[in-house]
Amino acid sequence: MTASSPDGKKIFQTSRSYAAQATDSRSSAMVLGPEKKLGLIRDTSIQPFAPKEETIEVPLPSDLRDAVIEVNLSYRPRPGNVYPIHTVVRNVSLDQTR
Amino acid sequence: MKWALTLSIIAYVLLNSAIVRSDPAQQVSTLNELIALFDSSSCRKCHEKIYEEWERSHHARPLMGLDDRIFMAPYLKIGPLAVKPGGKATKANFPCFKCHLPQIKCGTDDVAAEIAEAISKDDKSTVRKLNISCLVCHNEKAVVHGRPEKGVVYGNKDVPEHEGHPVKKSPLLKNSLMCGQCHGLGPNLEFETPVQCATLYGSYLHAYIPSGGSQTCQECHMKNADHYMPPDFNRRDELSARLRESLPLEVQTLAYTFQPVEEKYFPMVVVKTKITNKAGHRIPDG
Repeated sequence: MTASSPDGKKIFQTSRSYAAQATDSRSSAMVLGPEKKLGLIRDTSIQPFAPKEETIEVPLPSDLRDAVIEVNLSYRPRPGNVYPIHTVVRNVSLDQTR
Repeated sequence: MKWALTLSIIAYVLLNSAIVRSDPAQQVSTLNELIALFDSSSCRKCHEKIYEEWERSHHARPLMGLDDRIFMAPYLKIGPLAVKPGGKATKANFPCFKCHLPQIKCGTDDVAAEIAEAISKDDKSTVRKLNISCLVCHNEKAVVHGRPEKGVVYGNKDVPEHEGHPVKKSPLLKNSLMCGQCHGLGPNLEFETPVQCATLYGSYLHAYIPSGGSQTCQECHMKNADHYMPPDFNRRDELSARLRESLPLEVQTLAYTFQPVEEKYFPMVVVKTKITNKAGHRIPDG
């Protein structure tokens, strides 16, 4: 997820990884690749019937009243191999009263 | 005339040997024999649509990775599965075969070594002949209670008069366990170098089913008996579209000025995201 000023300057960026994570069961270091993985130690993947929800607070610089929020969801089975899934862009403003 | 008759008999014997499964106790010792044993090209004659769907699937090229590369090549050279200098690949040190070429159980270690050599030489024309063919699913993997019968092809109903060989009903073919045999439970500890590839079926069993899920793998991945069996990781746009459908994303934004204490103002945007998984297993998995 990124937040940018209306002129395109990036002011905030964060990301989340959703995946079953494994070691080789010989150290505490996570490994990648089926030839190395042996045993899951943590699972942050997206589970059926269990929506994955995030709340991200983006502090805005004091001189900024507007921002562009972009949320991207992609699938990356291997580093550098990216399958885009969703891109959602929202223009937000402190001057927009709810 | 006599020669023609002899040739016909040989052709008949070869055809039959190609449509029946070998008893693992009687393993073949050459790669060509293994390819012939599971050659399903004769199925195309009557089941053309299904055959063409299968030809487009990953099952038709289980040793080929993305972009027509042999995915196992790097594993044989470096890392825990690498064949040691002077050594030969065997079935025991080649765990990928368990699912990417399950019929290897009908071949000897010589066949494993021959495949490893083909992979090392980047011999794609040979490697492309190794696939999860009709006979792998409709014979070798179609029965789990005991061994599949020799000379039988398993389907969703009995067809005793089926051309060339009888079709027997195997309820397993419509069961998720059918797919779960390869698409996976977790660590494979029976190998010299244990590995863990797919854990998909484990997720289906222990996350999807306990949460009330009731669909089978086949209902989502083989709709209308489609043997294309998506996803296809080489069809990038198609996979992205499938993931979009399976993982709806909701985004809510709120821009406001937070005031935690008197006269302290913090302008901020709160972004809430929600991803729902409509699949029958965790995503990602394999």
